[in-house]
Amino acid sequence: MTQYIVRRLLVAIPMLVGAMSIVFLAMRVLPGDPCIAMLGEEATREALRDCVRQLGLDRPLYLQYAEYIYRSLQFDFGRSLHFQYTVGSYLWRMLPHTLLLVTASTLIAVLLGIPAGVASALNRRNPSIDYSLRVVSLLGLSIPVFYFGILLLIVFSLRLDLFPLIGGGDLDTVLDLLKSGEVFAYPLDFLNALRDVLWHLALPAFALGFTLAGTVTRLSRSAMLEVINQDYIRTARSKGLHERTVVYKHALRNMLIPLLTIIGLFVGLTLAGAVLTETVFARPGLGKMLVDGIGARDYPLVQGAVTVFTMTIILVNLLVDVLYAVIDPRISYR
Amino acid sequence: MPLTGKRKRNSEAVALAAEPKTAGVVSGLSRTWHLARKYLPVGSGMTIVALLMLAAIAAPWISPYSPSAQYTDAVLRGPSQRYLLGTDMYGRDLLSRLIWGTRISLEVGVSAVILGFLIGVPLGVIAGYLGGTIEAAIMRLTGLWLAFHLLLLALIIVTALGGTLMNEIIAIGIGLIPNFIRLARGLALSLKASEYVIAGRAAGGGNLYIMFRHLFPNMISTLVVVASLDVASAIRTEAGLSFLGLGVPPPTASWGNILSEGREYIQCCPWLTAFSGLAIMVAVLAFNVIGDALRDLLDPRLRGEGAPGP
Repeated sequence: MTQYIVRRLLVAIPMLVGAMSIVFLAMRVLPGDPCIAMLGEEATREALRDCVRQLGLDRPLYLQYAEYIYRSLQFDFGRSLHFQYTVGSYLWRMLPHTLLLVTASTLIAVLLGIPAGVASALNRRNPSIDYSLRVVSLLGLSIPVFYFGILLLIVFSLRLDLFPLIGGGDLDTVLDLLKSGEVFAYPLDFLNALRDVLWHLALPAFALGFTLAGTVTRLSRSAMLEVINQDYIRTARSKGLHERTVVYKHALRNMLIPLLTIIGLFVGLTLAGAVLTETVFARPGLGKMLVDGIGARDYPLVQGAVTVFTMTIILVNLLVDVLYAVIDPRISYR
Repeated sequence: MPLTGKRKRNSEAVALAAEPKTAGVVSGLSRTWHLARKYLPVGSGMTIVALLMLAAIAAPWISPYSPSAQYTDAVLRGPSQRYLLGTDMYGRDLLSRLIWGTRISLEVGVSAVILGFLIGVPLGVIAGYLGGTIEAAIMRLTGLWLAFHLLLLALIIVTALGGTLMNEIIAIGIGLIPNFIRLARGLALSLKASEYVIAGRAAGGGNLYIMFRHLFPNMISTLVVVASLDVASAIRTEAGLSFLGLGVPPPTASWGNILSEGREYIQCCPWLTAFSGLAIMVAVLAFNVIGDALRDLLDPRLRGEGAPGP
């Protein structure tokens, strides 16, 4: 078991480095020159040379590469080209917003998707239930999150004026109060800030959650179909067990195992969705940071955001592999 | 509502036993309903895709106006008889722009999938059939690839290469390769043990011969299902890239950049975003429906499980 986990860890490290190398390569073959982008086309030659030296772009590529890898592993991505702060500090400020959005929408997707998928599979001979659930999940799967988000904005923010149009709410206050332990000293401030955060979160989380729920519904439907035809389910039924016991105790647990394997894929999906969602709702976060960075050709910013995204996906996959072995004793620790 | 195991089994048994008998006596109406439920989704999906292709090919003839013509007397007008879907901030006809945008979406969607297919399937077949070090190497690379989500990878590539039609196709196509590798490898692994492959080898067929003559033709139907689902995600990804401002640059019309431009006017003129987004959604939906229907038709595990489609 320990050996298995260690082996997975050892595989994850070259993957991490490989993925970061791809990011580095892509950034270096970019056609735009960051210094020209920063100083403008009319910049003097001296200014450009200073800028190149300051950014370290004049050094040999392998040195830049080694430094990038070494520093990335310590979350040091250098200084933003346009703003006077380090990318690392910006990342740390944006991360909670994205984490909140990703967690909330995953929760919505799971709470909507798994029951819908299970109900759809169990009622597969009842077309009015199965069919309508499949239609809804197909809609969720096909509507792009940026379109659904805009529709929600038009209806609930512009027409009905129920939710804010932009922003991520006062998350800083919430976190500050939590960190300093002053929650109990200023409970009213805390609750107000929290309410503000949730109020800003509602529409984006629902938009992303609903589109993800389509995928979850289908996957859990087919997982349930696979399980419900197994011999042990027939055995459980022929023992005379209540159908509810069969579903909850036998089918549901076994169905979760194939669902676990796609978590890795799901994380990628959610993060990509977060990039679009944050852009639609003008919410602060890693995705917005990435898109802004690309627009401004702010290399360190883009590199930092993409590296964090990739690291997250690889680490979650690693975690799932380990979890998988813990949950399912049939897995052999190769 | 949970039934007891016994009752449930009974009702299933009754349904199964009754099926052949009732098939003969069902009224014309329920028979029509049954057929409609079976074929309506595929039929409508195929019709929509055919219409979209027609629109893309015939864009110069069927669009009422030029997609770039600016009618300064009709800036940001709502849908009317003259401009069926309204006009944008430069007074360009939205319907015409959407029709021309169909070209971008379909070109990118279909070409990217073909690119991913042509590179991914051979690699997957080789990995699955030959095994060993080659397989290990290809699968490691695939794992690395998958660490980037399709949109993230496309984002990086398009940023690096610049937003043109060709680069979008390359970016999304590259992102789709691992899907095909994994699928083709899995299929090759399971087909490798089949008798006709063993017979082919016994008859002296070389590796290339077996792969092309026996493996590939037997996996094509499954590959086509996945390909049509991938067209849906390629179209959505293209729209996402254009929405983020990384697709084909304006003034060329693409559904994603129309939607993106329309965002600034959602307060006054929601039709810009509403209709362009609808176009994206309908196209994605159509390809998804076709892929689903094909899978129900081809995947024996799901055959007979409730209604096919949607």
